[in-house]
Amino acid sequence: MNFPYLTSISERVVAPLYATVPATIIRGNKAESFAIEGRNLRFSFTTRQTQDVPVLRDCSIRIPCGQFWMLLGPNGCGKSTLLKILAGLLTPTSGTVNVNGPKSFVFQNPDHQVVLPTVDADVAFGLGKIDLTHDEVRSRVSRALHAVGLSDYMKRSVQTLSGGQKQRVAIAGALAEACKVLLLDELTTFLDESDQVGVIKAVRNSVDTSPEVTALWVTHRLEELEYADGAIYMEDGKVVMQGDAASIRSFIEARQSAYINQINS
Amino acid sequence: MNCNHATFISVSLAPPSSVLLFPKRLSENLTPKQTLLARNVRLRVRASASKGDGNAQAANWSQWVPVGSFAADKVFRLIAGATASPIGQFVVYPTTFLHSVDPRVKLVWLLALVVLPARSHIVVRFGLVIYLTLLSMWVLPRNAWTDQLGRVYLLSGLLFITLGLGSDGVPALVQLRTPPPAMMGLPNLPVSLTGYAYTITKLGPLTFTRKGLSVASTVACLTFTVFQSASLCLTTTTPEQLAFALRWFMLPLKYIGVSVSEIVLTLLLSLRFISLVFDEVRNIALGIVSRRINWKQLTVMETIDIFFNYFRRIFKNIFNHAEQISQAMIVRGFKGDSSSHKIYFLSESSFGIADAICLLFLTVVIGVALMSEYYLV
Repeated sequence: MNFPYLTSISERVVAPLYATVPATIIRGNKAESFAIEGRNLRFSFTTRQTQDVPVLRDCSIRIPCGQFWMLLGPNGCGKSTLLKILAGLLTPTSGTVNVNGPKSFVFQNPDHQVVLPTVDADVAFGLGKIDLTHDEVRSRVSRALHAVGLSDYMKRSVQTLSGGQKQRVAIAGALAEACKVLLLDELTTFLDESDQVGVIKAVRNSVDTSPEVTALWVTHRLEELEYADGAIYMEDGKVVMQGDAASIRSFIEARQSAYINQINS
Repeated sequence: MNCNHATFISVSLAPPSSVLLFPKRLSENLTPKQTLLARNVRLRVRASASKGDGNAQAANWSQWVPVGSFAADKVFRLIAGATASPIGQFVVYPTTFLHSVDPRVKLVWLLALVVLPARSHIVVRFGLVIYLTLLSMWVLPRNAWTDQLGRVYLLSGLLFITLGLGSDGVPALVQLRTPPPAMMGLPNLPVSLTGYAYTITKLGPLTFTRKGLSVASTVACLTFTVFQSASLCLTTTTPEQLAFALRWFMLPLKYIGVSVSEIVLTLLLSLRFISLVFDEVRNIALGIVSRRINWKQLTVMETIDIFFNYFRRIFKNIFNHAEQISQAMIVRGFKGDSSSHKIYFLSESSFGIADAICLLFLTVVIGVALMSEYYLV
């Protein structure tokens, strides 16, 4: 996949990304619009000693519609904060956000996401805001659970599920709402290898089957990049680089080897 | 020493070790050149009651602090073990006939089992206990019913013994207002020809009377039926089915301004939180056990401090869960008004033959309980 707008940004001076690029990018013959767009986002909080602690420093991102992107970076670099700002859970100190709706946010810990005690009822919880018939709700729940491979678990108590299964229930809840944007915060943190692959494939599948669905996935694992269309790398509250997954992977691996060489020398 | 605390400093030297008493010999042993750190000295603070306050029983209260079988480590292991099995959780398999009974019928049964033990003869009370025991053994998997019945029988048994011996044992000594008949020159009350005796048995200073039996059987049977019937209902009914049944019964109250949808959502969230609370209690207890704390080296206050930290941590984590789940609810479209956010109950609920049989049987049980008041005296 060719990403002509691959951008590398200096670590010290973070310029707004795509400052000269219009809101839609012409790629080949196809006009590409953005499902997620954040410009010059800054976020800080004030401590009890009235000190201003910056978390995000002039972050700008753009994610095209119908793609699966990943957000990477070391602990504390501001990935989850950026995701919460995109979801509307936090208000940025400055900057603008534009995310297509309806959007859905899936938390890192599935115990925090699952609201109701039984699987099917929880998946249907998000549909409570829409006026639907029971048959429509049942159909959506069934399709969402099928997409994440949990068709046989409809009547199971959430508490009896494994971490990976709970995580898939959380994703099914987001899929049932037929959201256009999925914001996913480190879903594979508590999962073993097979569950990690199961969850990531479920998201990939939902993006592939619906051209309107865009997913942004926060992760620490480089091997997950093989499922992504593109990626963003953050450090110290700044977007360092964004582009296609292979380039980001090469970039991170080069940094890792440089760091190891520095230690060994 | 005129206080109830003494501070001891135990000093361990490598080798040999010695024990110093504070403050008398401390100054003798520690010179500026030989500091505590330089001699690998370990300070240990120990609290105990003084002997000089005239209370011999309080001479050393620290010896009454549970050790051995009730040691702190075992308490935490006990907590972790007790909360490991599912309590009040829906069991999908094996699917029994109780799973297919309408949740509204189950709620009626629950209400009846709460009222009947208080308003029926002792024989009916124990009959209900036996009935619930057999039903649990028949319906639930072996590991589930042994666990549930074990706990409930233990609690009910303790209540039965305590109330049976306590409700009428002591008052006989302290409530007597009139002198015995013999002192007033009156003949004793005649012995019942039918073998009736108010006092059933005497256990040393304790007396087991008919009043004690009545109080103890009522409370113990009521405790048993309330806990076990609720447990049986939760094990064979999904929380959503229960919420559906409750909403069905409460729907008329909507017309007098009762927020039925809010009550139903609260019930569902409460049922969701039961398992989270048990998880937290178990996980934190396991966390403490896995640290392999050397409890013998800790002072009493340090042990108590760990217990307080344990409870603080439980509440902190539960409140954290509550905060996160409320955030998740907002993200998923809940705007704080439960009447505008629909809760979909996807389970089909239809009234069938099994429900009719259950209601018929309930009518028979209620009839027997009511008649027992008149015929079994």
